[in-house]
Amino acid sequence: MDRNSRLFKAVDAMLIALMLVPILVAIVLKVLFTPVGEGISITGARIYFTIPMPLQDLPITEAQINSWLVMISIFALCLFLTHGLSVKKPLKRQLIIEWAVEKVQAMVNGSMGLTFAGFAPFIMTILALSAFSSLLSLFGLFPPTSDINIVGGWAILVFALITYYKFKCGPVEYLKSFAEPIALTPLNVISEIATPLSMAFRHYGNVLSGTVIAVLVTTGLQGLSSLVLGWIPVVGEFPLLQIGLPAILSIYFDVFSGCLQAYIFAMLTMMYVSGAFPAEKYEQRRRLKEQRKKEKKNSIKNKSSNENLEVN
Amino acid sequence: MVQTLDVISVNLWQILISLANLVILFVLLKKFLYKPVKNLLAQRQAEIDGQYKSAQEAQELADKSKAEWEKRLDGAQSEAEEIIQHATEKASTHGERIIDEARERADEIIRRAESDAELELKKAREQIKEEIVSVSTALTEKVLEREVGDADHRRLIDSFIEDLDDDGNE
Repeated sequence: MDRNSRLFKAVDAMLIALMLVPILVAIVLKVLFTPVGEGISITGARIYFTIPMPLQDLPITEAQINSWLVMISIFALCLFLTHGLSVKKPLKRQLIIEWAVEKVQAMVNGSMGLTFAGFAPFIMTILALSAFSSLLSLFGLFPPTSDINIVGGWAILVFALITYYKFKCGPVEYLKSFAEPIALTPLNVISEIATPLSMAFRHYGNVLSGTVIAVLVTTGLQGLSSLVLGWIPVVGEFPLLQIGLPAILSIYFDVFSGCLQAYIFAMLTMMYVSGAFPAEKYEQRRRLKEQRKKEKKNSIKNKSSNENLEVN
Repeated sequence: MVQTLDVISVNLWQILISLANLVILFVLLKKFLYKPVKNLLAQRQAEIDGQYKSAQEAQELADKSKAEWEKRLDGAQSEAEEIIQHATEKASTHGERIIDEARERADEIIRRAESDAELELKKAREQIKEEIVSVSTALTEKVLEREVGDADHRRLIDSFIEDLDDDGNE
């Protein structure tokens, strides 16, 4: 496809629009649903409407909507970055995406081993979804990662992967590992369940605490401002002290902490999953099994030949 | 009043939806981002490998032809030397032959000249003898006033001359 053609540029523009529109939609929704002059309160996600479901009603919340919007944005971003790939004349965005893919692949190969090289896209998905969800708070939106349900879903998926790989390595060994010292069986079970819980709560708590601290500091500064500068006629009406410090806090909590939590979540996923599946042990067991099968076959053959001899 | 969730509120369906979201995004990213980029990288790697290979092949070919040319050059040099040697040998043998021929010819010429000279000498001697005979005959005729025509006389004179000859040769 010709990169200078109008079609190419039009598709580019459309993809960029697809990236930005979800964020705009989220902002519009937030503005529409936020009552004016609401006091400071730290709550969970706003509920837009509720769908009745068996077991438990499903509230469609800000976190849900935002996570879907982030997904659309990420998908558009990936389409944009991979738009116009070429072997010989890479565009700038292609360099970015190549760098990212190679970096993630190197990270996965380095910490999980070559057995799990196929995990790279999954790790990349976790990184992207987590980081971009946290970064949504830069726009003043509710970051989906500060909802325990969102992060909990990811953690449960990771837990399922861990358990799958432990089972694959050997179901008997897996069950035996719980009763390693028999006295500690309950603790073992708890520690197994604690893995996803700790992952979910770590991520969720870090992002939420950032929001909470930012809100507290902003409110505190507002009070301080009215206390210190309140006596000045016109200037005193503006919370001037709110300039500066919240921005720095935002850089730390929204940008740095968000990316760091994404990285930590990805790192933990890699460690737990690769730790659940010692590839060498698996190979050994597989080989043993095959050997046993062969021996069985051979013994059956020998028996039958012996019988033949006896008959003869 | 807008409803909000509590700070911690666990909802099964939300968890499931979030889980599904992650899986869906994983599938999308894998299909639309990871695979194309990986293919591209593999393609580029293949291209680079191919170029390296062809470069190496070209290098090998160049080395081979260089060696061949050097060998050929060496061969040409030795061949040239051989030709020169051959030519020199041929020339020297040819020259020798020419010289031999010339010498032979010269010898022959000398021999012929010698024999010619000898013949001439003989002839001259015969002539002189004739003349002497005739002169002596005439002299004796004059002295004796008579004819010396007898064979005896002739023989006498001949022996005399032969004596003379012998004297002359001695």
